[in-house]
Amino acid sequence: MRKILTIAAREYRAMVGTKAFLFSILMMPLLMFGGIFAMDALSNTGEVKDLKVVVVDHSDKLFVPLKQAAEAHNERLNEKIKASQPDQDGSPLANLDKDDDDGFGSMSKGQRYHLEKWTGSDFNNDVRFALSDRIRAQDLYAFIEIPADIMQVDFEKLRNDPKSLPVAEFYSEDSNLSDARRFFAIAISELVKAHRLTGSGIDVETVKQLSVPTQVRGMSLVEKSSSGEIVEAREKDDLSAIFLPLGVMMLMFMVIFMASQPMLESVLEEKSQRIAEVLLGSANPFQLMTGKLFGTVGGSLTILFIYLSGGYALAAYRGWTEYIPLDLVPWFLVFQILGVLFFAAIFMAVGASVTQLKEAQSMLLPVWMLLMSPLFIWFMVIREPNGALAVWFSFFPPATPTMMVLRMSTSATIPAWQPWVGLLILVLATIICVYVAARIFRVGLLWQGKTPKLNELLQWAFRG
Amino acid sequence: MSNAIELAGVTKRFAKQVAVDNLDLNVPTGSIYGFIGPNGSGKTTTLRMILRIFQPDHGSVTVLGAAHGKTADDRLGYLPEERGLYKRMRVGALLTYYARLKGNYNCRQHLQEWLARLDASDWVNMRIDTLSKGMAQKIQFIAAVAGDPQLVILDEPFSGLDPVNMEALRDAVKLLRDRGNTVIFSTHDMEMAEKLCDTIFMIHRGRKVLDGTIDAIKSQYPANRLRVRFADPHRQLPDLPQVMSSDRQGRDFHLTLEDTSQAQPVLNALMRQGELHHFEIIKPSLHDIFIEIAKPSAEELAA
Repeated sequence: MRKILTIAAREYRAMVGTKAFLFSILMMPLLMFGGIFAMDALSNTGEVKDLKVVVVDHSDKLFVPLKQAAEAHNERLNEKIKASQPDQDGSPLANLDKDDDDGFGSMSKGQRYHLEKWTGSDFNNDVRFALSDRIRAQDLYAFIEIPADIMQVDFEKLRNDPKSLPVAEFYSEDSNLSDARRFFAIAISELVKAHRLTGSGIDVETVKQLSVPTQVRGMSLVEKSSSGEIVEAREKDDLSAIFLPLGVMMLMFMVIFMASQPMLESVLEEKSQRIAEVLLGSANPFQLMTGKLFGTVGGSLTILFIYLSGGYALAAYRGWTEYIPLDLVPWFLVFQILGVLFFAAIFMAVGASVTQLKEAQSMLLPVWMLLMSPLFIWFMVIREPNGALAVWFSFFPPATPTMMVLRMSTSATIPAWQPWVGLLILVLATIICVYVAARIFRVGLLWQGKTPKLNELLQWAFRG
Repeated sequence: MSNAIELAGVTKRFAKQVAVDNLDLNVPTGSIYGFIGPNGSGKTTTLRMILRIFQPDHGSVTVLGAAHGKTADDRLGYLPEERGLYKRMRVGALLTYYARLKGNYNCRQHLQEWLARLDASDWVNMRIDTLSKGMAQKIQFIAAVAGDPQLVILDEPFSGLDPVNMEALRDAVKLLRDRGNTVIFSTHDMEMAEKLCDTIFMIHRGRKVLDGTIDAIKSQYPANRLRVRFADPHRQLPDLPQVMSSDRQGRDFHLTLEDTSQAQPVLNALMRQGELHHFEIIKPSLHDIFIEIAKPSAEELAA
């Protein structure tokens, strides 16, 4: 046992006692979550663009109101810039259900639209090509073609063919993703709607007032406290519904990744530097592998402690401590440790089977797919935590740690037996995985030839 | 004298290849035993069986009185060829780790003594990857003896060392022997083996081909080579029926005789040719014996 602890202590120090460890502790959350905040930050810091748009209005009714809408939008934008407040609230959460006062959402900020009316007599493909060329030459940003019958709607025909409604066309190099297209789509739609209402003798303002949407608030379930008192339901928000489960899953994924990857490098170094021979002359493969796994678990718990402390401090600072699911912590720890053991054993076996990192990478591809599989379906799982996909996936050992805690961190009630069965399956799978990995490790560590094929690995695993 | 290592009828196979074939070997306690053999001859496999890394398929391996088992023996120290050190560790931490792995938990004084002996005390806080090859080789040696082992196995311990460091390490090996430790060292440097080893063991194609003291081994090989120099540098070697082959190297002629008894008749014949400055019966060196054994056979060359 003392040798196992000696090996574990070295592995632990080798993992956490480096500058690379500190760097990865800082970088990993940025890589994982940085994208979400970076997009918001970038959308607020981009320069304001002046976009010239040609409007080909065959209906001859929309150019003027469109130009007015664009000028009103430009005016509001100018005021915002002058006040140096491009957005009222920098938080992405705050913007999720909030529309800008121009009715076009926050995505249109940062662009001023300058409309030019096309005044020719015959609008044909030659003209479309000429305008397209102006766009390609950066002289123009886009042109919009509004059909003559944009205001008309044949309800009978529409019932039979929903695509029969007249459509305006927006031509630009980035028309699919364009904020400007979104702006003009809403503007044209609103103008046409107003025209139809007026044509039917209905007052537009009255409709607007009467159309104020009614809210349906999402609430948590009512619970009883340990003293038997009823705990009132609280309003659910995106933080607890989406970001908490996502954060919990990503934390577990990060820790497994950060703990398992160094194992691969450590075993590879021991193999290539013939340290393995010294080690195997001092400890048997079981002691060596167990010591390394203990060290890895210790390292992973250190990473977890750092992130959880940081997360708690942040939550306390923002007043979010009530969202922290403390009852999940024991489950999280158990699944985390088993997940680390499961994947670290695989990474070690791979490290022992190859002679270069390059070879390990191709061998690890399926392992990565297993490890990352929950990331592809997490959104479906939090929408339906007790759905068949979520339940069965949480019993699939490589995905069990992340999937189970993801499900448990949602507000849905997970049948009590499921985490226990998941735990049992994972314990069994981890024992098998460590056993097979240890046998591959034992043979592979002294193997200096070509990378073994799958059948050779199986031979190592089952025949030794 | 008891034996530190006893191998009896040891065979080890890898798939269909026989790496070690029915090997018997006794290494006396307190001796320096040289393992020689060409690459791929079964040397490393034998060492790994002694270290308990491999188990033999047949036969028995007894090390320091213990029959083969699967548990690594803390009484053994091992220095692998050239490598064997964690590059990113510091010297002190690495040596302490290796000592503890061998169960030597109070190793500070022992390590300090070896560091001082090999002039390495100042390197304790240096990272392994900053050491020169010679420095790393010394640290490897200390790592091998960090656990205060009774039996030390050294694989090419002198490679990469300059003559001064080589001398220091050679003294260290002798010191181990003087303290009663048994030292096995594997080498391709025949000159070093001759200087340092009490006994030599050579393995070739998995089989033992030499085992004994240097003198005993040399006595098995005939001294049938002569070195001859005439006073007159222009004199040519006459045709002599006893000489199988000859080779001129500078002013010297190297002659190979049919057997050792022909030396006197050849000397008489040469003296009749003219004045001799030098006449020597050359004993075969370990290098010559090694080459003689390990060189490909005529059939192999033809194939």
